[in-house]
Amino acid sequence: MAKLARFNWISFLSMLCLIALGTVAIHSAGQARTGEVFREMWVSNLATAGFGLVVYFALAFSDYRRLLAWTAVPMYVFAISVLVAVLAFGSTVYGGRRWLWFFQPSEISKLCVICAVARMYGGDGLFESIRTGFGGFAAGAAMLALPCVLILLEPDLGTTLVLIPSVLLMLFAARVWRRGLVAVLLTLSVAAVAVLGLVYEAERPGAPPGRREAIMKFVPLKDHQIKRVRVFLFPEEDIHGAGYTLRQAKISIGSGGLTGRGLRKARSNMLKYLPESISMNDFIFCVYAEETGFAGSIALLSLAGLLLLSCAWTAHISTDGCGRLLALGVTALLFAHFFVNIAMSLGMVPITGLPLPFISAGRTFLLTAMSGLGLVQSVSIHGRETTK
Amino acid sequence: MSDSSPVVGDFSVLGTALAIAIGLATLGVRLYGIQVLESDRYADAGDVQSVRSVLTGGERGRILDRNGNILAENRKAVSIVLTPDEFKRSTRNATMSGITGAIDRVASAVGYRPAITDRAIERHVRQSPAMPMFVWRDIDDATLAKFCEREPGFPGFSIEETFERRYPYGSAAAHVIGYVGRDTADAGESRYHYSAQEMKGRSGIESYYDGYLRGVPGETRIVVDSRGYRVESKVVVEPKYGLDLRLALDIGLQLAVERQLAGETGACAAIDPRNGDVLALASSPSFDLNSFVPTLSRELYTRYADDPAEPLLNRASGGSYAPGSTFKPVTALAGLKAGYPEDAEYECTGAFAYGSMQLRCARRWGHGLLDIRHAIKESCNTFFCNLGADIGTNALVSAARAFGLGSKTGLDLGVDAAGVVPDAQWKMRTYREKWYYGDLVQMSIGQGMLLTTPLQMARVAGAIGTGYLVLPRLNLEIPVERTKLPFAEKDLAVVRDGMRMVVDGGTGRLGGEGVPVAVAGKTGTAEVGKGERRRKNAWFIAYAPAENPSFAIAMVIENGDSGGGTTAPKVDAILKRVFGDG
Repeated sequence: MAKLARFNWISFLSMLCLIALGTVAIHSAGQARTGEVFREMWVSNLATAGFGLVVYFALAFSDYRRLLAWTAVPMYVFAISVLVAVLAFGSTVYGGRRWLWFFQPSEISKLCVICAVARMYGGDGLFESIRTGFGGFAAGAAMLALPCVLILLEPDLGTTLVLIPSVLLMLFAARVWRRGLVAVLLTLSVAAVAVLGLVYEAERPGAPPGRREAIMKFVPLKDHQIKRVRVFLFPEEDIHGAGYTLRQAKISIGSGGLTGRGLRKARSNMLKYLPESISMNDFIFCVYAEETGFAGSIALLSLAGLLLLSCAWTAHISTDGCGRLLALGVTALLFAHFFVNIAMSLGMVPITGLPLPFISAGRTFLLTAMSGLGLVQSVSIHGRETTK
Repeated sequence: MSDSSPVVGDFSVLGTALAIAIGLATLGVRLYGIQVLESDRYADAGDVQSVRSVLTGGERGRILDRNGNILAENRKAVSIVLTPDEFKRSTRNATMSGITGAIDRVASAVGYRPAITDRAIERHVRQSPAMPMFVWRDIDDATLAKFCEREPGFPGFSIEETFERRYPYGSAAAHVIGYVGRDTADAGESRYHYSAQEMKGRSGIESYYDGYLRGVPGETRIVVDSRGYRVESKVVVEPKYGLDLRLALDIGLQLAVERQLAGETGACAAIDPRNGDVLALASSPSFDLNSFVPTLSRELYTRYADDPAEPLLNRASGGSYAPGSTFKPVTALAGLKAGYPEDAEYECTGAFAYGSMQLRCARRWGHGLLDIRHAIKESCNTFFCNLGADIGTNALVSAARAFGLGSKTGLDLGVDAAGVVPDAQWKMRTYREKWYYGDLVQMSIGQGMLLTTPLQMARVAGAIGTGYLVLPRLNLEIPVERTKLPFAEKDLAVVRDGMRMVVDGGTGRLGGEGVPVAVAGKTGTAEVGKGERRRKNAWFIAYAPAENPSFAIAMVIENGDSGGGTTAPKVDAILKRVFGDG
């Protein structure tokens, strides 16, 4: 009973609500499809959520410290192994080598890396002695860089883009060598701005011929990624080509109006203006927003806010360094997913393939997210035992 | 706390919470902009790409004759159509080959050749995949049976009922009624994305009164998916029926006229000179209007187009002929108006000489002394050459123009030739030549460069009878328009006497019995062409009853013998039909 008293109900209930919204959205998105597997996707997704709940409670009611003490290093090794395996044996879907048998290693690896970092920097971990010095910084940078490079090779830019800030935030919170972290942050920011600037100069309408080629030599992105940056910079250009998806996403979201068109009445989805390949996954927010309108969007944002802030609260009230880092990392990761996914549907950030937590169809990430929240719940329950 | 300096400071957690709040709020603000402030703009953009407006034609009105007989109506036609949705594949090429293969299968089953080209299919699939595509229009019952008895049928094909035009009288009055085609107007010009191919008048009344006969189109909205295929459709505006049009034409009379023209090349116009009603307007040879339904076959088109007799030409109101001696009453009136006394005489010696030329009279040894009435009766060339020469070009031309010659009659039909009333200016403009005395003399007897249509000459005959030139009309709703002729009543009486005498023992003797009313007429035998190609066009114009005319007619037979011999008996037969018992 003592455990139940510390149970973070807000976090749990808002997660359930989001899963419910997701089930409805996946059902709607599936109705536009002809394949039975897609029409029934909501069922399998719900079943996964059921299994996820078992995992959630199992993790929540076991002490994360004991769990991580034993598993953090194996988890990290496992993550790196599957990331290598997917590059070797994975199957290619929509241009990315992301699937290994029945799951996506990059999704799992995110949580594994966060757990490992939390364990290593959480107070009595391996890196405690070097935590605040250059050594701690270098070790953390290496822990982050290895999976990132592997994920980038898939390529899956989106996952790296949410993992890097999440882990950097954890290292920052763990008081790792600040100058190093600031330098990394600055370097990444400058690099991002430089890429945007270079692509802008190269793709600007009326740019002199030959400039594009001259500039692109310095942009370390793949063609489809450059296209996405270009669409982000010039959304009105090429609305039948690269800009088509973003335009359809905005039409879909905007058509929802204040109260939405009603369930299964999202026109962009039902008439397949929103490409089938993404309507259930990365762009499911468009389907949801067209059906439920601004009211539904606000409801979803509020639930996400409740969930994230309650997790942050868990981090806040925890007195254990590892628990705090773990809760913070999971919170940051989920927030990055929520923010980047919705923002890309709105054209606020370049399009990257990232699922919307609990809403997008995708069993690997659903289980990852629920496991992450289970661990946060465990922090809420076990992370406050200050005096024993 | 076990650690005096916690591993994770509160600042990081609070900062994260703040970032979350700001981030989600930013999304909320942007969503407010797109979903509330700019919602209409995005919804409109969605409409533009997914909603198509289709113009659906209303049923076309019928064309009736003056007694209510149906000249043109609609019948239900059965067509085999293909629904492109059913052949939808991931690529257009795959869709295309699926469709052409399916059409070939149906073609061999029903025994038709594919009537639609690959290019037409491709265009249809590209431009309007939401619309059914007509593969075979207006199929016959046997083919329909073959199509329907096939089990399990042809997926993607179906039967669609449309309206096709039907002309119960076939070739009768074909030039007047005209035919329809499918309206292929570019849909891009209107706000409609597609228009159901409506019937559009292509000639004759069908064309002239197209706007009247055509129904008011309705509108159907079709929702299409991202590839343009139909998802659902809704009738927004029901189409309205077009209006029926009643013509002045009397189909019975028209048939009688056409019987007289059968086998000849020629034309005939019959009007009611009191109100301008066009009772019959016939041109021979003719064509079957039903051969244009649903579309004229290429071979038939070639046959029509290559036929030297030009069956598609409406000679009655669009054919220009030298009027020959039927013009002489006009010359006579010009003379009387110019002051030539009605009992003054010229002597005919059998020829009229001018310069080095000689213009022969019909009677080689001459008519001797003739007054104006007898000159009309005997159609004496010498007399009218003299008379024309005396009064001069201006008097003759203004008389001809008073009868509406040289200008369009104003008939409510696209085909309305003006003909030619030549004068010095016209000749200079047209041939860069001076106007000679010979031109005047030739015009006096309806030859030379003078050209008229049968309809114009029927009007001339009627105008002499009534004293009024009338606007001919096919649509009974056009108000009657009559213009008083600028000739004295006593002058008209003289000419009427002459034309009565033509029929009673003159050049155009008519049978008499069977026509219980007095008829006035004038023959004409116009010579056209020179040397080997010299031919004669045989004319007869008449009005009846002579004292109070209700019927005026003009008929020309190309390559005839003479007006009196060839054409007068035909007109006689028509008059019997009009005024006789039968």
